[in-house]
Amino acid sequence: MSDIASRVKAIIVEKLGVDENEVTPEASFTNDLGADSLDTVELIMEFEKEFNVAIPDEQAETIQTVGQAIEYLEKNVK
Amino acid sequence: MANNLLKGKKGIIFGALDEKSIAWKTAEKCVEEGAQIVLTNAPIALRMGAINQLAEKCNAPVIPADVTNPEDIENLFDKSLEHFEGKVDFILHSIGMSLNVRKGKHYTEANYDFMHKTLDISAISLHRVLQTALKKDALNEWGSVVALSYIAAQRVFPDYNEMADAKSLLESITRSFGYHLGKLKKVRVNTISQSPTITTAGSGIKGFDGFFNYADKMSPLGNASSEQCAAYCVSLFSDYTRMVTMQNLFHDGGFSFTGINEDIIRALSESER
Repeated sequence: MSDIASRVKAIIVEKLGVDENEVTPEASFTNDLGADSLDTVELIMEFEKEFNVAIPDEQAETIQTVGQAIEYLEKNVK
Repeated sequence: MANNLLKGKKGIIFGALDEKSIAWKTAEKCVEEGAQIVLTNAPIALRMGAINQLAEKCNAPVIPADVTNPEDIENLFDKSLEHFEGKVDFILHSIGMSLNVRKGKHYTEANYDFMHKTLDISAISLHRVLQTALKKDALNEWGSVVALSYIAAQRVFPDYNEMADAKSLLESITRSFGYHLGKLKKVRVNTISQSPTITTAGSGIKGFDGFFNYADKMSPLGNASSEQCAAYCVSLFSDYTRMVTMQNLFHDGGFSFTGINEDIIRALSESER
Protein backbone atom coordinates (compact mmCIF):
# COMPACT_ATOMS: atom_id res chain seq x y z
CA MET A 1 0.00 0.00 0.00
CA SER A 2 1.32 3.43 -0.91
CA ASP A 3 2.03 6.05 1.70
CA ILE A 4 -0.85 8.16 0.39
CA ALA A 5 -3.25 5.22 0.59
CA SER A 6 -2.39 4.49 4.19
CA ARG A 7 -2.72 8.14 5.21
CA VAL A 8 -6.08 8.39 3.42
CA LYS A 9 -7.31 5.30 5.24
CA ALA A 10 -6.14 6.60 8.59
CA ILE A 11 -8.08 9.85 8.05
CA ILE A 12 -11.22 7.92 7.10
CA VAL A 13 -10.97 5.64 10.14
CA GLU A 14 -10.48 8.63 12.41
CA LYS A 15 -13.16 10.87 10.88
CA LEU A 16 -15.92 8.33 10.34
CA GLY A 17 -15.15 6.16 13.34
CA VAL A 18 -15.19 2.99 11.23
CA ASP A 19 -13.13 -0.18 11.47
CA GLU A 20 -9.98 -0.28 9.35
CA ASN A 21 -11.16 -3.49 7.66
CA GLU A 22 -14.22 -1.73 6.29
CA VAL A 23 -12.10 0.85 4.50
CA THR A 24 -11.64 -1.06 1.24
CA PRO A 25 -10.98 0.66 -2.11
CA GLU A 26 -14.55 -0.10 -3.28
CA ALA A 27 -16.18 1.21 -0.10
CA SER A 28 -18.46 4.18 -0.74
CA PHE A 29 -18.32 6.90 1.92
CA THR A 30 -22.08 7.34 2.03
CA ASN A 31 -23.39 3.87 1.17
CA ASP A 32 -20.91 1.70 3.05
CA LEU A 33 -19.16 3.85 5.65
CA GLY A 34 -22.15 5.75 7.03
CA ALA A 35 -21.01 9.23 6.00
CA ASP A 36 -23.58 12.00 5.49
CA SER A 37 -23.14 15.05 3.26
CA LEU A 38 -21.34 16.98 6.01
CA ASP A 39 -18.93 14.10 6.62
CA THR A 40 -17.98 13.88 2.98
CA VAL A 41 -17.18 17.59 2.82
CA GLU A 42 -15.25 17.26 6.06
CA LEU A 43 -13.23 14.38 4.58
CA ILE A 44 -12.35 16.40 1.51
CA MET A 45 -11.18 19.26 3.73
CA GLU A 46 -9.11 16.84 5.82
CA PHE A 47 -7.46 15.44 2.67
CA GLU A 48 -6.67 18.98 1.54
CA LYS A 49 -5.06 19.77 4.88
CA GLU A 50 -3.13 16.50 5.15
CA PHE A 51 -1.78 16.60 1.59
CA ASN A 52 -1.63 20.36 1.13
CA VAL A 53 -3.73 20.38 -2.03
CA ALA A 54 -6.86 22.25 -3.10
CA ILE A 55 -9.56 19.94 -4.42
CA PRO A 56 -12.01 21.93 -6.56
CA ASP A 57 -15.73 21.30 -5.86
CA GLU A 58 -16.32 19.65 -9.25
CA GLN A 59 -13.54 17.19 -8.52
CA ALA A 60 -14.65 16.67 -4.94
CA GLU A 61 -18.08 15.61 -6.14
CA THR A 62 -16.58 12.74 -8.13
CA ILE A 63 -14.77 11.33 -5.10
CA GLN A 64 -17.31 8.88 -3.72
CA THR A 65 -15.23 5.87 -2.70
CA VAL A 66 -12.01 5.24 -0.80
CA GLY A 67 -10.31 4.14 -4.02
CA GLN A 68 -11.35 7.28 -5.88
CA ALA A 69 -9.91 9.44 -3.09
CA ILE A 70 -6.59 7.58 -3.18
CA GLU A 71 -6.45 7.71 -6.95
CA TYR A 72 -7.16 11.44 -7.06
CA LEU A 73 -4.56 12.21 -4.42
CA GLU A 74 -1.90 9.97 -5.96
CA LYS A 75 -2.31 11.89 -9.22
CA ASN A 76 -2.46 15.36 -7.72
CA VAL A 77 -0.17 15.34 -4.72
CA LYS A 78 3.35 16.36 -5.55
CA MET B 1 -42.21 45.59 0.28
CA ALA B 2 -39.41 47.25 2.15
CA ASN B 3 -40.05 49.87 4.82
CA ASN B 4 -36.54 50.82 5.83
CA LEU B 5 -37.19 49.29 9.24
CA LEU B 6 -33.48 48.64 9.73
CA LYS B 7 -32.11 51.76 8.12
CA GLY B 8 -28.60 52.45 9.40
CA LYS B 9 -28.47 49.28 11.48
CA LYS B 10 -25.62 46.81 11.38
CA GLY B 11 -25.87 43.13 12.07
CA ILE B 12 -24.10 39.79 12.08
CA ILE B 13 -25.92 36.80 10.59
CA PHE B 14 -24.79 33.31 11.62
CA GLY B 15 -25.78 30.18 9.75
CA ALA B 16 -26.70 30.97 6.14
CA LEU B 17 -25.82 27.72 4.38
CA ASP B 18 -27.86 27.84 1.19
CA GLU B 19 -30.93 29.60 -0.15
CA LYS B 20 -33.24 27.35 1.86
CA SER B 21 -31.70 28.57 5.13
CA ILE B 22 -33.75 30.84 7.36
CA ALA B 23 -30.56 32.82 7.94
CA TRP B 24 -30.21 33.30 4.18
CA LYS B 25 -33.73 34.72 3.86
CA THR B 26 -33.18 36.86 6.93
CA ALA B 27 -29.94 38.26 5.52
CA GLU B 28 -31.73 39.22 2.30
CA LYS B 29 -34.61 40.81 4.17
CA CYS B 30 -32.38 42.76 6.54
CA VAL B 31 -30.53 44.26 3.59
CA GLU B 32 -33.83 45.06 1.83
CA GLU B 33 -34.84 46.87 4.99
CA GLY B 34 -31.76 49.04 4.91
CA ALA B 35 -29.31 47.15 7.13
CA GLN B 36 -25.66 46.48 6.55
CA ILE B 37 -24.59 42.95 7.41
CA VAL B 38 -21.68 40.60 7.97
CA LEU B 39 -22.19 36.91 7.16
CA THR B 40 -20.53 34.13 9.09
CA ASN B 41 -20.58 30.37 9.24
CA ALA B 42 -18.34 27.43 10.08
CA PRO B 43 -15.58 26.75 7.53
CA ILE B 44 -17.20 23.42 6.66
CA ALA B 45 -20.56 25.09 6.03
CA LEU B 46 -18.90 27.75 3.88
CA ARG B 47 -17.39 25.00 1.78
CA MET B 48 -20.63 23.04 1.61
CA GLY B 49 -23.04 25.84 0.87
CA ALA B 50 -23.25 28.74 -1.50
CA ILE B 51 -22.71 31.70 0.79
CA ASN B 52 -20.65 33.65 -1.72
CA GLN B 53 -23.75 34.16 -3.84
CA LEU B 54 -25.52 35.65 -0.85
CA ALA B 55 -22.50 37.75 0.06
CA GLU B 56 -22.46 39.25 -3.41
CA LYS B 57 -26.17 39.93 -3.37
CA CYS B 58 -26.03 41.52 0.08
CA ASN B 59 -22.73 43.26 -0.48
CA ALA B 60 -21.53 41.64 2.73
CA PRO B 61 -18.18 40.25 3.80
CA VAL B 62 -18.02 36.59 4.83
CA ILE B 63 -15.99 35.99 7.98
CA PRO B 64 -15.53 32.30 8.79
CA ALA B 65 -15.97 31.34 12.43
CA ASP B 66 -16.20 28.05 14.25
CA VAL B 67 -18.58 28.95 17.08
CA THR B 68 -16.88 26.50 19.42
CA ASN B 69 -13.62 28.41 19.10
CA PRO B 70 -13.36 31.59 21.22
CA GLU B 71 -10.57 33.01 19.06
CA ASP B 72 -12.73 32.73 15.96
CA ILE B 73 -15.55 34.61 17.67
CA GLU B 74 -13.15 37.32 18.82
CA ASN B 75 -11.81 37.65 15.32
CA LEU B 76 -15.36 37.82 13.97
CA PHE B 77 -16.21 40.77 16.23
CA ASP B 78 -12.90 42.54 15.58
CA LYS B 79 -13.39 42.29 11.83
CA SER B 80 -17.07 43.22 12.00
CA LEU B 81 -16.44 46.32 14.09
CA GLU B 82 -13.75 47.33 11.66
CA HIS B 83 -15.98 46.70 8.64
CA PHE B 84 -18.94 48.58 10.12
CA GLU B 85 -16.76 51.31 11.55
CA GLY B 86 -18.96 51.05 14.57
CA LYS B 87 -20.82 48.69 16.84
CA VAL B 88 -23.33 45.98 16.06
CA ASP B 89 -27.10 46.50 16.36
CA PHE B 90 -28.36 42.99 15.79
CA ILE B 91 -27.28 39.35 15.70
CA LEU B 92 -29.05 36.31 14.30
CA HIS B 93 -27.97 32.95 15.75
CA SER B 94 -29.22 30.26 13.38
CA ILE B 95 -26.92 27.41 14.30
CA GLY B 96 -27.52 23.81 15.19
CA MET B 97 -25.85 20.46 14.70
CA SER B 98 -26.26 17.07 16.33
CA LEU B 99 -23.84 14.25 15.72
CA ASN B 100 -26.12 11.78 17.50
CA VAL B 101 -28.87 12.68 15.02
CA ARG B 102 -26.49 12.54 12.09
CA LYS B 103 -25.16 9.15 13.17
CA GLY B 104 -28.63 7.76 13.80
CA LYS B 105 -28.06 7.23 17.53
CA HIS B 106 -31.28 6.78 19.47
CA TYR B 107 -31.82 9.21 22.36
CA THR B 108 -31.44 6.40 24.86
CA GLU B 109 -28.15 5.30 23.32
CA ALA B 110 -26.46 8.66 22.94
CA ASN B 111 -22.74 9.04 22.56
CA TYR B 112 -21.61 11.62 25.12
CA ASP B 113 -18.77 13.07 23.09
CA PHE B 114 -21.35 13.75 20.40
CA MET B 115 -23.78 15.20 22.92
CA HIS B 116 -21.20 17.64 24.27
CA LYS B 117 -20.51 18.77 20.75
CA THR B 118 -24.21 19.20 20.04
CA LEU B 119 -24.75 21.36 23.12
CA ASP B 120 -21.59 23.34 22.44
CA ILE B 121 -22.40 24.13 18.82
CA SER B 122 -26.16 24.51 19.14
CA ALA B 123 -26.56 26.32 22.47
CA ILE B 124 -23.38 27.27 24.35
CA SER B 125 -22.26 29.03 21.17
CA LEU B 126 -24.89 31.71 21.90
CA HIS B 127 -23.31 32.29 25.30
CA ARG B 128 -19.86 32.47 23.74
CA VAL B 129 -21.02 35.00 21.14
CA LEU B 130 -22.72 37.18 23.75
CA GLN B 131 -19.86 36.97 26.23
CA THR B 132 -17.39 37.98 23.54
CA ALA B 133 -19.65 40.81 22.37
CA LEU B 134 -19.93 42.07 25.94
CA LYS B 135 -16.21 41.83 26.58
CA LYS B 136 -15.46 43.78 23.42
CA ASP B 137 -18.29 46.22 24.08
CA ALA B 138 -19.42 45.43 20.54
CA LEU B 139 -23.16 46.01 20.87
CA ASN B 140 -25.03 49.28 20.52
CA GLU B 141 -27.63 50.27 23.09
CA TRP B 142 -31.06 48.91 22.15
CA GLY B 143 -29.44 46.21 20.11
CA SER B 144 -31.29 42.96 19.51
CA VAL B 145 -30.20 39.33 19.45
CA VAL B 146 -32.39 36.54 18.07
CA ALA B 147 -31.67 32.81 18.18
CA LEU B 148 -33.78 30.20 16.43
CA SER B 149 -35.43 27.48 18.47
CA TYR B 150 -38.08 24.79 18.20
CA ILE B 151 -41.02 23.69 20.37
CA ALA B 152 -39.26 20.41 21.19
CA ALA B 153 -37.62 22.52 23.92
CA GLN B 154 -40.95 22.43 25.82
CA ARG B 155 -42.75 19.35 24.56
CA VAL B 156 -41.47 15.96 23.54
CA PHE B 157 -40.91 15.20 19.87
CA PRO B 158 -38.97 11.93 20.19
CA ASP B 159 -37.32 12.06 16.76
CA TYR B 160 -35.90 15.50 17.50
CA ASN B 161 -33.56 13.59 19.78
CA GLU B 162 -30.93 15.50 21.78
CA MET B 163 -31.59 18.68 19.79
CA ALA B 164 -34.54 19.12 22.15
CA ASP B 165 -32.12 19.44 25.05
CA ALA B 166 -29.91 21.76 23.04
CA LYS B 167 -32.90 24.02 22.30
CA SER B 168 -33.92 24.02 25.98
CA LEU B 169 -30.44 25.16 26.90
CA LEU B 170 -30.46 27.75 24.13
CA GLU B 171 -33.71 29.21 25.45
CA SER B 172 -32.34 29.22 28.98
CA ILE B 173 -29.15 31.03 27.96
CA THR B 174 -31.38 33.52 26.14
CA ARG B 175 -33.14 34.36 29.40
CA SER B 176 -30.04 34.35 31.59
CA PHE B 177 -27.84 36.40 29.28
CA GLY B 178 -30.83 38.51 28.28
CA TYR B 179 -31.08 39.69 31.87
CA HIS B 180 -27.45 40.79 32.02
CA LEU B 181 -27.36 42.37 28.60
CA GLY B 182 -30.57 44.23 29.41
CA LYS B 183 -29.13 45.59 32.62
CA LEU B 184 -25.70 46.41 31.26
CA LYS B 185 -26.32 47.45 27.68
CA LYS B 186 -30.08 47.76 27.10
CA VAL B 187 -29.71 44.93 24.62
CA ARG B 188 -32.52 42.40 24.21
CA VAL B 189 -32.19 38.67 23.60
CA ASN B 190 -35.01 36.42 22.40
CA THR B 191 -35.57 33.10 20.71
CA ILE B 192 -38.03 32.47 17.91
CA SER B 193 -39.65 29.06 18.10
CA GLN B 194 -40.28 28.47 14.42
CA SER B 195 -42.54 25.98 12.61
CA PRO B 196 -40.75 23.01 11.10
CA THR B 197 -39.04 24.45 8.05
CA ILE B 198 -37.72 22.59 5.05
CA THR B 199 -34.01 23.43 5.12
CA THR B 200 -30.87 21.38 4.70
CA ALA B 201 -30.49 21.11 8.48
CA GLY B 202 -34.18 20.39 9.13
CA SER B 203 -34.30 17.64 6.53
CA GLY B 204 -31.58 15.83 8.47
CA ILE B 205 -34.12 14.92 11.14
CA LYS B 206 -35.65 11.48 10.85
CA GLY B 207 -39.32 11.64 9.91
CA PHE B 208 -39.09 15.33 9.09
CA ASP B 209 -41.94 15.18 6.57
CA GLY B 210 -44.17 13.80 9.31
CA PHE B 211 -43.31 16.72 11.63
CA PHE B 212 -43.86 19.18 8.85
CA ASN B 213 -47.24 17.85 7.67
CA TYR B 214 -48.58 17.28 11.16
CA ALA B 215 -47.69 20.83 12.24
CA ASP B 216 -49.11 22.26 9.05
CA LYS B 217 -52.45 20.48 9.61
CA MET B 218 -52.52 21.30 13.31
CA SER B 219 -51.78 25.04 13.04
CA PRO B 220 -54.82 27.22 12.31
CA LEU B 221 -52.64 29.41 10.07
CA GLY B 222 -50.52 26.54 8.72
CA ASN B 223 -46.75 26.39 9.07
CA ALA B 224 -44.78 29.61 9.05
CA SER B 225 -42.38 29.72 6.11
CA SER B 226 -38.73 30.72 6.23
CA GLU B 227 -39.59 34.02 4.49
CA GLN B 228 -42.15 34.77 7.17
CA CYS B 229 -39.61 33.90 9.85
CA ALA B 230 -37.15 36.30 8.23
CA ALA B 231 -39.79 39.03 8.36
CA TYR B 232 -40.38 38.31 12.04
CA CYS B 233 -36.63 38.55 12.68
CA VAL B 234 -36.61 41.95 11.00
CA SER B 235 -39.40 43.14 13.29
CA LEU B 236 -37.40 41.97 16.31
CA PHE B 237 -34.29 43.76 15.08
CA SER B 238 -36.29 46.94 14.47
CA ASP B 239 -36.98 49.71 16.97
CA TYR B 240 -40.63 48.68 17.25
CA THR B 241 -39.89 45.81 19.64
CA ARG B 242 -37.48 47.42 22.06
CA MET B 243 -39.12 46.18 25.23
CA VAL B 244 -39.36 42.53 24.20
CA THR B 245 -36.62 40.51 25.85
CA MET B 246 -35.81 37.15 27.46
CA GLN B 247 -38.73 35.60 25.59
CA ASN B 248 -39.26 32.48 23.58
CA LEU B 249 -41.60 33.70 20.86
CA PHE B 250 -43.69 31.17 18.99
CA HIS B 251 -43.77 31.81 15.27
CA ASP B 252 -45.71 28.75 14.30
CA GLY B 253 -49.15 29.66 12.93
CA GLY B 254 -50.73 28.84 16.30
CA PHE B 255 -49.38 25.28 16.57
CA SER B 256 -48.08 25.64 20.13
CA PHE B 257 -51.50 26.43 21.63
CA THR B 258 -53.68 24.16 19.54
CA GLY B 259 -54.77 20.92 21.22
CA ILE B 260 -56.50 19.13 18.39
CA ASN B 261 -58.51 20.12 15.33
CA GLU B 262 -60.89 18.71 12.74
CA ASP B 263 -58.19 18.08 10.14
CA ILE B 264 -56.25 15.85 12.53
CA ILE B 265 -59.40 14.01 13.68
CA ARG B 266 -60.42 13.43 10.07
CA ALA B 267 -56.96 12.13 9.16
CA LEU B 268 -57.02 9.77 12.14
CA SER B 269 -60.50 8.41 11.45
CA GLU B 270 -59.66 7.94 7.78
CA SER B 271 -56.59 5.91 8.70
CA GLU B 272 -58.72 3.74 11.02
CA ARG B 273 -61.12 2.86 8.26
